Amino acid sequence: MSLTDSASCRQLVDNGRSTAARANRNPNPTVKHIRNFCIIAHIDHGKSTLADRLIQACGAVGAREFRDQVLDDMEIERERGITIKSNSVSLSYRAKDGVEYQLNLIDTPGHVDFSHEVRRSLMACDGAIIIVDATQGVEAQTVANLYLALEHDLDLLPVINKIDLPAADIERAREEIDADLGLDPFAAIPVSAKNGTGIEDLLEGIVAHLPAPTGDHAAPLRALVFDAQYDHYRGVVLACRVRDGVLATGQRVRFMHTGHEYEVHEVGYNRLRRAKVDALPAGSVGYVITGIKTIRDVSIGDTLTLAGQPAAQPLASYQAARPVVFSSIYPMSSDQYDDLIAAMEKLALNDASLVYQKDSSAALGFGFRCGFLGLLHLDVVQERLKREFDLALILSAPSVLYRVHTKSDGIKEIDNPSYWPDPTEIEQIEEPYIKASILVPEKHMGAAITLCRNNRAATIATNYLARGRLEVVAEMPLAEVLFDFYDRLKSVTRGYGSLDYEALDYRPGQIVKVEILVNREKVDALAFLAHTEKARTRALHYCDQLAKCIPRHQFKIPVQGVIGGAVISRATINAFRKDVTAKCYGGDITRKRKLLEKQKRGKARMKLVGSVEIPQDAFVAVLRTDQDR
Amino acid sequence: MNPAEEPAGLYLHIPFCRSICPYCDFAVSVARPAARAALVEDLITEIVSYPDWKRPFDTVYFGGGTPSMLEPEALQRLLSAARSHLPVAGDARIYLEVNPEDANAERAAAWRTLGVGTVSLGVQSFVTSELRRLGRHHRPERARAAVECCLEAGFATVSADLIFGLHDQTAAQWVHSLKTLIALAPQHISCYQLTIHEGTTFGRWRARGKLIEMPETQQATHFALTHRLLAEAGWRAYEVSNFAAAPEHRSRHNRKYWRHVPYLCLGPSAHSFDGRSRWWNLRDAKAYGEALRAARRPRAGIERLSDADLALETVMLGLRTTEGIDLDAFRARFGIDLVERNRALVDELGERGYLRNAGTRLAPTVKGLAVADGLASRLRLAD
Repeated sequence: MSLTDSASCRQLVDNGRSTAARANRNPNPTVKHIRNFCIIAHIDHGKSTLADRLIQACGAVGAREFRDQVLDDMEIERERGITIKSNSVSLSYRAKDGVEYQLNLIDTPGHVDFSHEVRRSLMACDGAIIIVDATQGVEAQTVANLYLALEHDLDLLPVINKIDLPAADIERAREEIDADLGLDPFAAIPVSAKNGTGIEDLLEGIVAHLPAPTGDHAAPLRALVFDAQYDHYRGVVLACRVRDGVLATGQRVRFMHTGHEYEVHEVGYNRLRRAKVDALPAGSVGYVITGIKTIRDVSIGDTLTLAGQPAAQPLASYQAARPVVFSSIYPMSSDQYDDLIAAMEKLALNDASLVYQKDSSAALGFGFRCGFLGLLHLDVVQERLKREFDLALILSAPSVLYRVHTKSDGIKEIDNPSYWPDPTEIEQIEEPYIKASILVPEKHMGAAITLCRNNRAATIATNYLARGRLEVVAEMPLAEVLFDFYDRLKSVTRGYGSLDYEALDYRPGQIVKVEILVNREKVDALAFLAHTEKARTRALHYCDQLAKCIPRHQFKIPVQGVIGGAVISRATINAFRKDVTAKCYGGDITRKRKLLEKQKRGKARMKLVGSVEIPQDAFVAVLRTDQDR
Repeated sequence: MNPAEEPAGLYLHIPFCRSICPYCDFAVSVARPAARAALVEDLITEIVSYPDWKRPFDTVYFGGGTPSMLEPEALQRLLSAARSHLPVAGDARIYLEVNPEDANAERAAAWRTLGVGTVSLGVQSFVTSELRRLGRHHRPERARAAVECCLEAGFATVSADLIFGLHDQTAAQWVHSLKTLIALAPQHISCYQLTIHEGTTFGRWRARGKLIEMPETQQATHFALTHRLLAEAGWRAYEVSNFAAAPEHRSRHNRKYWRHVPYLCLGPSAHSFDGRSRWWNLRDAKAYGEALRAARRPRAGIERLSDADLALETVMLGLRTTEGIDLDAFRARFGIDLVERNRALVDELGERGYLRNAGTRLAPTVKGLAVADGLASRLRLAD
């Protein structure tokens, strides 16, 4: 489905009413009949399904073209059931008081990596629906998002979802809403997003309990840009929340932070498809098209004002997310490099948080060093490159950003092992720490604590929550969470543990660069940075995986992990000793050549390091954690 | 000299045996005398069908199958036809593959009279149990007598074949066969590792788990042992499986296959090469005969080799021989500097004793010969 396909907008028929009629119905509602809200929830608690149900109930989309999770329009979002990019939709709802309300639903991602996008969405809202799963109760991200919402002064409306499931325990959910979230348990509305139970109650609840926006209609224009998407035909489409004044077609507007000025070509509401209006009044949430060509020219969080009559102060903005995880991406075959360049450029059009620059490796050729918001972000980017651009890729080990105090060159921020200074040059190294919040059933507490301890947690504290559940709070290095922490947590808590984290600070750490030598030659793309305590285990894992993946050669191949000159791990790939066929006369030659050609085609897909052929899956295998084995 | 300019080799395939060995994947069958007579006529028809072949032949090779099953008169007819219709040099070396059961003083004398210079005896083993496993009907004494008889008959070169690699063959058994042959002292020795091909009796046994291949490490040990024992006794390897007591005893004919010298091979399933194209005959003797009698070429296929194909074969075949690849000739012919393009690998393989790079030639050591197939797949020809 395309949210931007305005041609088919005319064909949109829902509940027997024509789109045109609805568009005329309430083009610019008065501020007190607007509700700007989002839905926040832990991953998998049914946020997108609930959004779908609200959209359906308000008749914004006909049953015929309804597709589950209408707000998630990226293939990967649908497949994984997660929301990555925020999206908004304006719904018309005639409440029981007979008044038609405009409900602006702003969807938010549910994963910890994307908390900056959550913040971005929250800034456009006045209220939030907070979902608690009736079978799972309050989870780590529910709490984290609650704090975020409170930070932004949002009014909260708790919803207990999945009440249709046999395992649903509404009373327990109410207790947790009281104990863990500190919200009024009796305000919570029980619903089943899946089968539609309670959706009318919820709509009434939104109108009754969430506040109308405030804003000065007469004041100079101030509109917050909270999202931007790239449209193939229209260029960049900004999502914005008008705080003061009116944003109208034909105005000349200025971005208060960047100073750039543009003419407003079009404004309107997102009703799944764009519905054009003349002006967006204070309090409304809608879209603006100004002819900006690339998303890189937009600074999300910036304030739009009138060029001729600027506001005195921009709206309070938020810090742009900084990448915390870094990895290099190379095409499997070097002739796909140009395709990779084109793909990265296209991806970046719609993903302002993706940071990348050119990189090259002796072993893997040209590629990109990329910064990601977290491992999921990395995963999503990788998947999109594979799926949408049909690229086969090799990634290097993900790394965090270290602060290296050097003797002669001050403090350097380094994420790439290639730029790691000589150890004699290093005075001190600092690594990023996070505060991890892990919610677990009480019986898995020990396992969760052990896991944190094994991952170099500096401090571990526990908070008792409702009925047999507790929160383990650990201050630990981000680098430790990068690898298989989340998978292990799921495994040791039988799927019941949930994780959220926030950046804390930088602390000293004994970090070393581990290099991998295959046949005594360094393979730069396999080098990694690790804490001294972890270096050997990981180096062993690398050696074992490489020994498994690299086929036997004519000679014995040592695979070693080294720090400086010291070997810390080793594996050996034994040699072929006999492979020659005994006879090769007239009739054998063609057959043998054809076999050889086939072998050579297979080898062309390998990476040659010195005189060793390394299959591409070896580069993937080293990143696989123990659990996959 | 450009190998394509050298004198060619003529091969005549006699696809008949008394019984089929369980490991053999050649185009052979057990045929009655009438069928044998028909084949001789068909071969003559094919010989006559190449009036345009201009390159002189300096070798004529009777292979099989079991060409020693043919009466000397039949061999004579074939030779005469070849001499009258093809440019066979007067001093061409004539080769005959001989089954030990067919060799006796009288036959040997007849073959000598025909002009046969090299007899190649399919001894295979001097261990009774191994001969039985291999489906051979002769006993070790018969094989010994056959070698002695041919040596006495005064052929320029007597060659004998041995097979190693039955999975339960011990090193002692193999050394026994090798040493027995060394003591008999034929001028040329071939030692083939048993290869189990699909479609053979051994292939079916392997599929059913009745037969396993010798483990690779043991193969390597037997291979190395073979080369060491023969070298110590004075037989120098010149190819993976071939050893000669002196350079003049190397197979002039077989070396043509390995050096891209043209060869015309006649008979069912035979593959020919003219320096650029390779073509091959129908495998089935009956279909082969019918085609010729209908005045059609008995051809099953043909391929024209590109320079890249030829370059690849040159590497593949060169690495199987101790003289290796002539680097200057390779560069001149294909425009590829093989060593430069594979510098790291060649250095590595040199240091580890797999290759000798003596400036103008890239040649395998014995250790390298054992993994020649792998080496060929490693050397890169294109970027």
